[in-house]
Amino acid sequence: MKAMAFHIGKVLFSSIILLIVVITILFLLLEVAPGDPIQTLVGDVPISDALREQIYATFGLDKPAWERYLIYIGNVFSGNLGVSFGTEVPVTQLIGERIGNTLALAIPSFILSTIGAVIIGSIAARTRKRWLDTLLSGSSVALFSLPNFWLGLMLIIVFSITLGWLPTQGKAPYGVEGIQIEYMILPLITMATAELAFKARIMRASMIESLGQDFMDTARSKGLAEHLALWRHALPNALLPMVTVAGLSLSHVLAGSVLVERVFGWPGMGLLFIGAIERQDTFLVLGVVIVLTVTILIVNLVTDIVYGLVDPRLRSQVTRSARSEP
Amino acid sequence: MSVQQLSRAASDAAPEPTPPPRPARRPRNPDAIWRVYFRKPLVRVAMPILVIIILASVIGPLLTGDPFATNHPTFIPPDAEYPLGTDNLGRDYLSRVLLGGQVSLLVGFSVALLCLTVALIVGGLAGFYGGVLDTVLVKISEFFQVIPGIVLALVAAAILGANLGIIVAILAVTMWPGVARIVRAEAMRISQLGYVESQRAAGFLSLRILWSDVLPNAMPPVLVATTMTVARAILAESGLSFLGIGDANRPSWGALLNQAQPYISTAWWLALFPGLCIFIVVLAINLLGDALNDALNPSIGRVK
Repeated sequence: MKAMAFHIGKVLFSSIILLIVVITILFLLLEVAPGDPIQTLVGDVPISDALREQIYATFGLDKPAWERYLIYIGNVFSGNLGVSFGTEVPVTQLIGERIGNTLALAIPSFILSTIGAVIIGSIAARTRKRWLDTLLSGSSVALFSLPNFWLGLMLIIVFSITLGWLPTQGKAPYGVEGIQIEYMILPLITMATAELAFKARIMRASMIESLGQDFMDTARSKGLAEHLALWRHALPNALLPMVTVAGLSLSHVLAGSVLVERVFGWPGMGLLFIGAIERQDTFLVLGVVIVLTVTILIVNLVTDIVYGLVDPRLRSQVTRSARSEP
Repeated sequence: MSVQQLSRAASDAAPEPTPPPRPARRPRNPDAIWRVYFRKPLVRVAMPILVIIILASVIGPLLTGDPFATNHPTFIPPDAEYPLGTDNLGRDYLSRVLLGGQVSLLVGFSVALLCLTVALIVGGLAGFYGGVLDTVLVKISEFFQVIPGIVLALVAAAILGANLGIIVAILAVTMWPGVARIVRAEAMRISQLGYVESQRAAGFLSLRILWSDVLPNAMPPVLVATTMTVARAILAESGLSFLGIGDANRPSWGALLNQAQPYISTAWWLALFPGLCIFIVVLAINLLGDALNDALNPSIGRVK
């Protein structure tokens, strides 16, 4: 248990370092950005020097870059992400309004794709029918190669425009609060397919490896029925690498939501992010990336802990080097 | 044709016992890796498709007319005169798709080439020598495993401007650690092997051993990873330009999709063809990479 706590502490420490590195890189990038945020703020009209000074002072832009950087880092760790440029709405509030919508797509598509991948990967690995394996593996390569925002566009053309079954844009009819299920179907399919393919490939490889291990011969030779041997011995071992992959996959889903939300006009963090980049809304861009990074780091921490708990080889002595490379 | 047949044919051609008969050609090795590779049915399908698409986008725009000329009727669906239809400004869509292919393929291959170069240098040195460089490389690749590359690329491209060179550079920066990790692992493994040890004992310079033995022997998995990088770079570039971040003067397939989105309810062909091209090219490259992996490691990926 002590080793476990030590390990978690170490991962936590490196996560915080990583977060600071991300903030620093983005801050430097935004600092060298060409273009004038004040001009963007005011619009295409000339600005008097006095007004410029005033705006600079309001937003603290008159301080040198390193001072703003330190102030910003301090604020981030006390939970203050600054205000959105122009509207002066707190960034945390803007993100708070949108993050629910993003998670409403990301979490179901993550769960669906994981379950689907485990099933498909296992079937492809253990089937003796050559054509079935070829079909499943082949279609997972195909899905893996699909630009998934294009898949979204094609789904809109077929199911919304041609057949008229499902709506094209948004999360509910205009003026209606909340999320309606028929608005979720197409974005969910779009988001889940790429991840399904990615994870099914890994599951298949992991299952093949696990089926070839000695403990499977032992299980069969002690007279265990084939499906029981599979369920009790092969599957749990094959699922181990999937725990690590799950963290990676959730970060893919969150990053991919930028594209999917753009295709379906889904008002989540991705759309907020694109808008912020287009308006050069510095703090909002930083804020979204920070929230995303923190989410991913938390997921990775949880994955690490779960991995340590489920792998009996690691229960006694947890070391990072024992984690398999995805 | 087997080796025996060949040598028999050669000895028939030269009946005199002296001088010793030279075989007409070097005997063919039926198990040479590239022969095994080109014997695979998937390769025989995917390779010609990829070659045709590459040739079409390099040569095609010369034959199909000006992709920027707006002298055609607007919104013509695909027909005999305009095989892929025309767009909202009356431009011939076939020549635009072919031109888009030039950009997408150029980005894909140049990103992969850059990644391979950087990965061989950094990964090779890190894996062979270890030390500080190794620690740094491991940290960098952990960083890019955690932070989604597309998010960083999006911010960077939006800030640094979006010409083709910058996009290639940004994508290479986010993708090289993936290849470098593999080079590093291979270099580490190979540097422990007997032939490297005997070279050290023979007193060769370590850089020379790295160059002449370690890197060539590390190539098989690295080549597979590089092939996959081409596919990933094409996908990533299309995603960026679909979001409107790309070289405005050189529309890639992703940029065409971006321009097609407002007309999706009336002009389906504008959204269909560029995406289909991305899909086919990426699929062909991935299949070729898979087949390369199979040819290089025939024992992996089979059920016992």
